Formats: sequence, structure tokens, C-alpha cells
Amino acid sequence: MATELLIVGLNHHTAPVEVREKAALANGRLDSVLPRLLGLPGIHEAVALSTCNRVELVACCEPGEESAVALRTGLFDSTELTADLCGKHLFELHGREAVRHVFRVASSLDSMVVGEPQILGQLKEQFALSADADAAGPILHRVFHKSFAVAKRVRTETDIASRSVSVASVAVDLAQRIFETLEGASVMIVGAGEIAEAAAQHLVSAGVARVMVANRTYENAVELARGFNGTPVPFERMHSYLPLADLVVGSSGGGEILSADAVDALMKERRNKPVFFIDLAVPRNFDPAINSIDNAYLYDVDDLSTVVQDNVGERKREAVSGEAIVEEEVDRFWQWLEQLEVVPTIVALRDHAETVRAEELTKTLARMPDLPDKDRERIDQMTRAIVNKLLHEPTRSLKQDRPEKEGLALISSVRELFGLGKKS
Amino acid sequence: MELGLLEISSLAYLIASMAFAAHVARPVGRWGAFGAGALGIGFVLHTGGILARLYELGLLPVTTFGEGLSFFSWLIVGIFIGISGRYRLTVLGAVVSALAFGLSLAGVMLYDGGAVVPAALRSPWLPVHVTLAFLGNAVFAVAFAVSVVYLVQENLLKSRRRSWMITRLPSLEQLDRLNYSCLAWGFPLLTLGMLSGGIWAVNAWGRFWSWEPREVLSLLTWSIYGGLLLYRLTSGLRGRRAASLTIIGFSLVVVSYLSVNLLPLAGKHGGTFGS
Repeated sequence: MATELLIVGLNHHTAPVEVREKAALANGRLDSVLPRLLGLPGIHEAVALSTCNRVELVACCEPGEESAVALRTGLFDSTELTADLCGKHLFELHGREAVRHVFRVASSLDSMVVGEPQILGQLKEQFALSADADAAGPILHRVFHKSFAVAKRVRTETDIASRSVSVASVAVDLAQRIFETLEGASVMIVGAGEIAEAAAQHLVSAGVARVMVANRTYENAVELARGFNGTPVPFERMHSYLPLADLVVGSSGGGEILSADAVDALMKERRNKPVFFIDLAVPRNFDPAINSIDNAYLYDVDDLSTVVQDNVGERKREAVSGEAIVEEEVDRFWQWLEQLEVVPTIVALRDHAETVRAEELTKTLARMPDLPDKDRERIDQMTRAIVNKLLHEPTRSLKQDRPEKEGLALISSVRELFGLGKKS
Repeated sequence: MELGLLEISSLAYLIASMAFAAHVARPVGRWGAFGAGALGIGFVLHTGGILARLYELGLLPVTTFGEGLSFFSWLIVGIFIGISGRYRLTVLGAVVSALAFGLSLAGVMLYDGGAVVPAALRSPWLPVHVTLAFLGNAVFAVAFAVSVVYLVQENLLKSRRRSWMITRLPSLEQLDRLNYSCLAWGFPLLTLGMLSGGIWAVNAWGRFWSWEPREVLSLLTWSIYGGLLLYRLTSGLRGRRAASLTIIGFSLVVVSYLSVNLLPLAGKHGGTFGS
């Protein structure tokens, strides 16, 4: 069974979201696509991956264009898309490239946000679906389980996932470097718009216990506060509530709301308990001089974005180490796969030769009934010697370590040349 | 002291320091655990060396300057190991191990066989005084390391740049709390150390206080730490200023220790009991 690993699909590198969402394999469609694929003669094993960033079919199949066509058809079966329309968004990966791709996806090196941690869980889930449907066989089991191990290695041996890469998570990181934990902390949110709501959401999920909302239009403050079980504060009374806040988020229009002098007085009232000011407003709500006051820390949108960019850069640097690990693991996996093919090929080649030899020998000897046993023995030995000498070099060559695709290419050439194909 | 054990433990502290630093620079792999292991092994060997000497001398091995430094570094490492279970402080481990390496190496290099304490000065109060004084100072040494890390972290947060270091260092809150704990332990130890010294002095020299340089410097140190504790408790002194004062306090500890041991200011104190 000469087989090939093949991936056909589209992902965030190749297709816009409008196409990806139409191609997504919702659970129902997954149930029908896999059995249909496996019903086709050339496809031995298949796994379907479908996340918001990718729809990909991974298959173990007969080499050749028919398999790729089958996968393409499977991908767009019962969607509004046609293979034709989407041809330009599709990619196709073979053999070693396909293994590398699965490893990179699992390790979050292929993600839109490199290093994001969710992909591994999604991949495990999707693989389990295909495995439960009996679509994944021994080879793909091995490919995917190996990819989970590679992902773990990348995670522990590189620093790829430790940097936050969004403004909100960077702000939470910084707050945790000031306060250790946000559990039980209080936040004053100035403004009641979308940014205010998103900030409140993020801080509450990081553990903030108490939300206060101050807004020029009091009704909006009431509404936002209600969503977080918080306290609405009339705008003109904000200063009397401020000493309660460990974090102050500015997201209000209309420029400066807090001066450095006001914060100076505030710090005295708080007996120097630290305050983290997060200014998300443009123009800024907080006087930049606040940052030079002891125990007051001020970051504006630009400061936070700089940190984000720094972290993105750092993740990219760490991704290079991640790629090296993936490469190493692909090599190792590939050797295993080749071993898997080499031994049966050699056995098949020898079996084939032995069959031919035995048949021809029997035929010839049948025509020479008077030949003494001693001579029969000699002829038998001679044919064996010919077979051994002829096969010596091909066998040695097959067993040799080879880089990249060469190994598998050689195996399929041997199978082709000697017609070892289908039956074994 | 047993030189072999001390030299190896000193080396272990150096290795621990480098491993901790490596873990801070790139927190992947097992450098942190490796550092903790090296520090633990160093501490056990160091303990062995000090016990051996204690057995040999029949009293605490702090009779010479070198022995004093070695004992001091042993206490610092012990205190750090004691608190490291409750705090996650790799970077502090790097600073403390480096400090312990420097001190214990100096201890090994200055080793000159140890001195004999004159019979006149032998009294049950001597080990009490010396142990309390050393312990108090070791706690302040840890507070010093904590304060240095605090100032670095504060500076990083204020400068709003070099973000990668920020996530590697402990939070300001944790450092400030630890600084306060050290102060709350160190100050009573210092006070008791000074009192027990006075009681011993009454026995040995006939009076409680004799205004010699070491005593004056200790009094100054005591007032700085006392003032720091008082203002922390009453008027919310904390953070950067508390850290700076802790550093000043410890500089005085170092100055007074060195002045009596290395300068001809010695008076009746000092490691050699020469006078």
C-alpha cells in the first residue's frame, strides 16, 4: 500500500473570512464528509480540521491527482462554494510538508496570533471527532499524537506563549506586576462607552471585585454598572469615590479629567496605596505628570501598544526556536515513516523475485526429466545466486538513510518498476 | 572550619546564582529548579562545615572576620530558603546567591585558622549576643536584596519600556510586603542583640554602654530601622522610599561591620578579640 500524506484546505493565510466561514465543517457536515471520503478507493485515512481560522482535510491516500480531487470535492460538498470558485484560496501539501504543517498548527506557529494557546485544544477535539468516526487510522493517529507532543515541547522549550499580545491583557499583566493579584481589587471606570465596557469585562474576568462607573451622562453609568453589579457614580462626585479605586480606567471624551495635583492629594488620602491609571482615551483623560508621583503608575494607549508590539516581536523571535524544534521532530517522524515503508517493500521485492525464480525453475526442470539430481541442485543454486546478486544493490539502496522526499520517492519507484503495487 | 566543604558550598552558590539568572532571562526549561537544587546542596554542605567547626571549637565559629562572613552568608541563605517556600522569587534567589557566593568566598579566602576567645570574655551571653546580632543583620541583608529588586521593578514600571523584564520580576506589592516582614523580624532581633550585648558588656567590661564606634554605628542603624518601622506603621511610608531607607540602613550595617574589622577603629568589638 504505497500511501502519501496529503492536506487540502484553506486557512487564514490563503482565504478571507467570508470564504472560511462558508467552508467551515459544522458538526453535521463533518459527519457526512468523512464517511464519504473514506468510501472513495484512494483514501485510506482522513482527519478534518475546522476552526475559525482554517478548514483542512488531512488524509493518508494513494499518491496521485485523484486523491487531491477527492479531498477538494469533500471540502466543498454541500456548501455554497464550488471547488472552482475557491481554487485560488486552496492550498495543497504533500508528504513531509504535510507532517510539518500539522506539527506547526499544533504548536501554534501557524496561528493568526502566533503562540495563542487555544489551538492545541481545538486540534485535539477535532482529531477526537475524526478518530471516533473511525476515519483516522494508524498513520494519522501517529501524526496527530506526535503533533501534540511536539506542541508540548515547543511550549516548554520556548517562551512563545508567555507574552501578552493584546492591549487589555498587557494592562492586566502590568496590574499584576503592581498588585500581585487583582482578586478583590476595585476599579473606577471613567466613561461608559464600548471601550469602558470592554475594559470592565476584562478586569472583572481577571478578578476585580468591585466596579465603579463615573460618566457625564449618569444614566449610561447606571446601565454599564448594572451589567457588572457595580456602583454608578455621578460625574461631579467622582473625586470622593476615587480613593477607593486601585485601578482607574479613562475612556471618556473631552480630554483631561484628572490632574497631577488631584492625584497627589488622592495618594495622601490612600496613604500611598498604589494606583494604576490606564488611559484608553484619545485625547487623554489623565495628566501625563501623574506617572512621576510615587506609587502612581500611568500607562496610556500608546504605552500599552508599545508593549504589545514588543511582545509580538518577542513571540516571533521565540517562534524561530519553535520552528527549529518542529523541523527536528519532522525529521524524526519522517524516518519512522520511511522505515514503515522500507521493510515491507524489501520483503515484497524478495517475495516477488523468489516467486518468479521458483516458477521458472519448475518450468525448466520439467522439460529436462533426465537431469541428474546433482545438476538440478546446481541450476537451483545458480538461479538463487542470480536473484541475490541482482537484488543486493536495490536492497542496500533502500535501506540507506536518505534525506527528505528521496526515500519515499525511491520506494514508490521500486514498487512501480517491479509492479509490487496493490496486492500486498 | 572545614575548608573543603566551604569551598564547594561557595561554588554551589555561584552556580545557583547563575542558574537563577538564566531562568530570569529566559524562563523555559529547568534552570530555576536547577538553581534551587544547587542552593540547597550548597546550604547543606555549608551547614556541615559550620557544624564541624562548632564541634571542634566548642563555640560558634565567628571568632575571626573570615569566619564571621561565612557564618553570615550561611544565615542569609537559610533565611532565603525559609521564605522561598512562600514567595516565588527567582530573581531574588539570583541576588541572594550572588551575595552568599561573594561573602562565603571572602570567608574562605580570609580563613586564617580562627582565634581563641580570651577566657575573660567567655560568658553565656556571648553566643546569645553574637547569634542575635548576626541573625538580625542577615534578615536586613535579605531586606536589602528585596529593596534593590523593588527599585529595579519600580523603575521599569515607571519608565514604561523594556517590558519583558517586568513580567520576570516579582510584583511591587509582594516585594513591599516582604520588605516589611523583614523589617518586622529584623528590628526586634537587632534590639535584642544590642540588649544582650549590653548585658554581656556589664559582665565583661563592667558597664552596659561605652560609646565605642561600633556601638554608636549600631545605635544609628537602630534608629533608621526603628524610624522606618514607625513611619510604615503610622503614616503609610512604603514603596520606593521604604526601599531606599532599607538600603541606607543596610549600608550602615556594612560600614559598621567593616569599620571594626578592617579599620584601626576597632575598640573592644571586632572579630579578633585582640584588645
